[in-house]
Amino acid sequence: MNKIGYKVVLATIATAAVLATSGCSGVLSGGGSDPTNDTGPIMLADIVPISGSLAPSGLTMKNGAQMAVDEINAKGGVLNRKLKLDVLDGACDPQQAVSAANKAISNGDVMSVGNYCSGAALPTLPIFNKAHIPMILAAADSQVLPDAKSPNAFLINGTGVQQAESAVKFMKKEGVKSVALVDDNTQFSKDITTGTAKDLEKDGSVKVLLNTSITAGESDYSSIVHSIVSANPDMLYFTAYYQEGGLIINQLRAAGFTGKIMVGDGSVDPALIKIAGVANAEGVFATSPPTPDTLPNAKNWVANYTKKFNIAPGPFSTQAYDAVRLAAQVITNAKTTDGPAVIKALKTIKGFQLFTGTLEFTPEQTLKSGGYVILVVKDGEFTLKDSLK
Amino acid sequence: MTDNTDTTMAPRLIGKPQSKLSRLFESRKLGWVAFGIAILTPFIIATPYSLNVMTNAAIFVMLASGLNIVVGYCGLLDLGYMAFMAVGAYTAGILAKSFELPLIFTIPAVVVMTVLAGLIIGAPTLRLRSDYLAIVTLGFGEIIRITANNLDITGGTSGIFGIPGLEIFGVDLQQPVPFYYISVVVVSLFVLAAARLGKSRIGRAWRFVREDEDAAEAMGIHTYQAKLMAYIFGAVWGGMAGVLFAAHLSAVSPQTFVFLNSALLLMAVVLGGMGNIRGVVLGAIAISVLPELLRDFADYRYLAFGIVLVVVMVFRPQGFWPIRASEPERGITDQKSRRATRKGNVHDWHPRGS
Amino acid sequence: MSQLIWNGLFVGSFYALIAIGYTMVYGIIKLLNFAHGDIYMLGAFIGFVALGSFGSIPGSMSLIVLLIVMLLSMVLTGFAGVLIERVAYRPLRSAPRLAVLITAVGVSFSLEYGVSAIFGPNPRVFPVRLSNDGANLLGAHVSYSQLMLMLIAILLMIGLNAFVQGTSTGRAMRSIALDTKASLLMGINVDSVITRTFFIGSALAGAAGVMAGAYYGNINFLMGFIIGLKAFTAAVIGGIGNIRGAMLGGLLLGLLEAFGSEWFGGQWRDVFSFSVLILILTLRPTGILGGRVTERV
Repeated sequence: MNKIGYKVVLATIATAAVLATSGCSGVLSGGGSDPTNDTGPIMLADIVPISGSLAPSGLTMKNGAQMAVDEINAKGGVLNRKLKLDVLDGACDPQQAVSAANKAISNGDVMSVGNYCSGAALPTLPIFNKAHIPMILAAADSQVLPDAKSPNAFLINGTGVQQAESAVKFMKKEGVKSVALVDDNTQFSKDITTGTAKDLEKDGSVKVLLNTSITAGESDYSSIVHSIVSANPDMLYFTAYYQEGGLIINQLRAAGFTGKIMVGDGSVDPALIKIAGVANAEGVFATSPPTPDTLPNAKNWVANYTKKFNIAPGPFSTQAYDAVRLAAQVITNAKTTDGPAVIKALKTIKGFQLFTGTLEFTPEQTLKSGGYVILVVKDGEFTLKDSLK
Repeated sequence: MTDNTDTTMAPRLIGKPQSKLSRLFESRKLGWVAFGIAILTPFIIATPYSLNVMTNAAIFVMLASGLNIVVGYCGLLDLGYMAFMAVGAYTAGILAKSFELPLIFTIPAVVVMTVLAGLIIGAPTLRLRSDYLAIVTLGFGEIIRITANNLDITGGTSGIFGIPGLEIFGVDLQQPVPFYYISVVVVSLFVLAAARLGKSRIGRAWRFVREDEDAAEAMGIHTYQAKLMAYIFGAVWGGMAGVLFAAHLSAVSPQTFVFLNSALLLMAVVLGGMGNIRGVVLGAIAISVLPELLRDFADYRYLAFGIVLVVVMVFRPQGFWPIRASEPERGITDQKSRRATRKGNVHDWHPRGS
Repeated sequence: MSQLIWNGLFVGSFYALIAIGYTMVYGIIKLLNFAHGDIYMLGAFIGFVALGSFGSIPGSMSLIVLLIVMLLSMVLTGFAGVLIERVAYRPLRSAPRLAVLITAVGVSFSLEYGVSAIFGPNPRVFPVRLSNDGANLLGAHVSYSQLMLMLIAILLMIGLNAFVQGTSTGRAMRSIALDTKASLLMGINVDSVITRTFFIGSALAGAAGVMAGAYYGNINFLMGFIIGLKAFTAAVIGGIGNIRGAMLGGLLLGLLEAFGSEWFGGQWRDVFSFSVLILILTLRPTGILGGRVTERV
């Protein structure tokens, strides 16, 4: 009897917990709003990682997009309709992202403005394409995306190839003679290291002493640190995320590495400096699109964001914000939410201002200039070092 | 050894007389009913999303029925089953893409490769028991995933994409509805085959190996051979599911084959009721559809999933549909003897009397 | 070379601490406790909260404060382990053994995403950071904090060993591991011993969590997943169910990883360590220190 009573209590608690965490309804029915209905809100699909190890980035992207939506709605919306963000968990997993993409279509979303992980974004391209839904990929930036030649996909983050070019440019400028390249075996990170290695080989003036990968999600990187210290390059270029980046910088400095350290844009986050320790992070370079902090015109934006979400804007929050603004603009230009018309409007858009400069697409629908700059950590903050102009 | 009752080995002789309900559950027609439900569901909900979820579920059912051959029938705990799916999906993807073959024509190669994979993974594990086996299969799963992630031929971290879809006589079957029906038909055939296999001669040998390996050997069953066969059949099932998966997503990438997915698959088999193909189908559907149903919980999705798993198991520890319809209650005192007699070696590696 | 060995031993001692909890639980109720790595994560977060509540800590006091926090975290994670056992595992005591695996994975999800719901998915920076000052030892840079953490780990393991070998509870544990039914007949309160086992195993993982937080400086809600898997691997290498085997397995795995990464590059490290694992198990099917599986008669 006691056992049964216990089960009932447990079930009650569980049900309460499950119910308390949601105010949801309508599962799987997938009816959603009708896309032809032009009085309801305009739904924008925002597929970002909500679960899994990349959830922090998903959160900043969601916030950035939400901020743009709120601002646009405050000004009256688009085509006299409100915007609505449909946030879906892609978990950086291709299968989950495909489910999310299909759910987005069922929900009646007319554009996609999210996407963080290139590997997860890739299989969703044909799905959105078949449904004639234009995609503005806010952060996903691997070369495989433009290579897939999906006519509906537009990348507003510089590609890994462009980032690698900037990195090489800066390495030569700094007079670096040898580098170690470290990625975390994920698509975007590996894109940058292979791109850099290729460019350096062509160039010939900088030697790649070490090109290796770490496993994300661990704490101890002493073995990779050991390899770097033994190779003793002039510079380490680390292209993965800030958690691992912070740990590696810390452990490298502890092991007595005195060479230069540069990180990719996935590591440009205040948390990198905290994890590495302010003293260790001092002087670390980064290849990155200009962050809100380093943009002269973004002071207000940063303040608003911080006030709204109680947290400083992380990496890719500006791209997510820009993606929503761009979506609103092209829908306005096309005067409809009809996919092909919006895609046409995207192709012909002129003079639109992104955080990183004026938007201009290449024929393969990526940014003409990645807008990458070099940042440096100074007094515990990322500051602009070199705009590479 | 007194209560060694298994529906296949001693059908309906030992144990309680069957009630009407349990006879219903044992009915052969049930498979047809399930098939009918699968066929009719798109008439109720046919959004691309629901079709996608259902197709995923169908593929998951196929994987689970394959894992059930290894774990449920033969009692070999496998924590790296996704490796077989990876072998199948990558073989199909690479061949189809580089030779521009329709996926269907890659199937013979997939079968060969998966049989090889089954042999390679099976051979070193033959002497191992229980959880040592589990870690070795986990290791193989990780080795295959990391290798796929690092090699150029498998496309590295981005994997293979732009795989040509299923096409028969020039008819594109890649649309959600036809693809769903193809998946249902293919998966049903494989599930049926798995069920038949369980009742065949080799199926009985597997069950004997599961119940008591040494006794099986003493009775003249070649246990190594039986175990290897279980791996090979499991591998083929996994590989074919991989082909279906590659066709469905038109892409294969290493993230699909992470350990967590192997664990979820094992959960599907256990949740449904190990060894009983009907239960396994049910468990697979539950495990693959549940996270989708919980999508609206957004940030709390996996928290809710975890709680649901615990609660379901507390209420139904033997799985939805265990291998026998009536499962007598037993206390902890009986655990040891029960484990020894019913669950066989896999569950009882521990040295006794030493 | 000596640096590699030292690195391997240091990481290995973390693996060992967590592997012990795995192996103890396994030895007694034959459960692969997939939630065990998440207890380590929970320990780190409890340490994070406790240290945060201390406010600013002067450098000289940080070590003592850290030890106090570690003890606190051990007690709390210990109770968390007991609670999990009571809620999720005990009701399934008479169920097929693999069924408990499901609740273990369920508990693991709940812990991970529960912590994520409370603290957010962003990584947290530990308020106390151990310094990296150290000395050269046979050509390897060895920091004092590493030495201290290893000392704590070794002390905990020695204490545990003494407990299992010397006390009546320890005897009861070993007895249950050998034969649950016979132990029950001999008058051992099986439930209470299992509870204590969970307490000890979880407390050790909690201690490791605080130590990792203070040493590496970074904690997040998924930090227990990979290390849990590694600890499982370590426990099996050593012979699962065997406490000394878990210690040995942990150190061995740490060394394998250090050398694998050096020889083959980071991306092939896990392939190397798993290949060696498979080789070891092919030669010794029950791990290095595992007892022989007696053939059924």
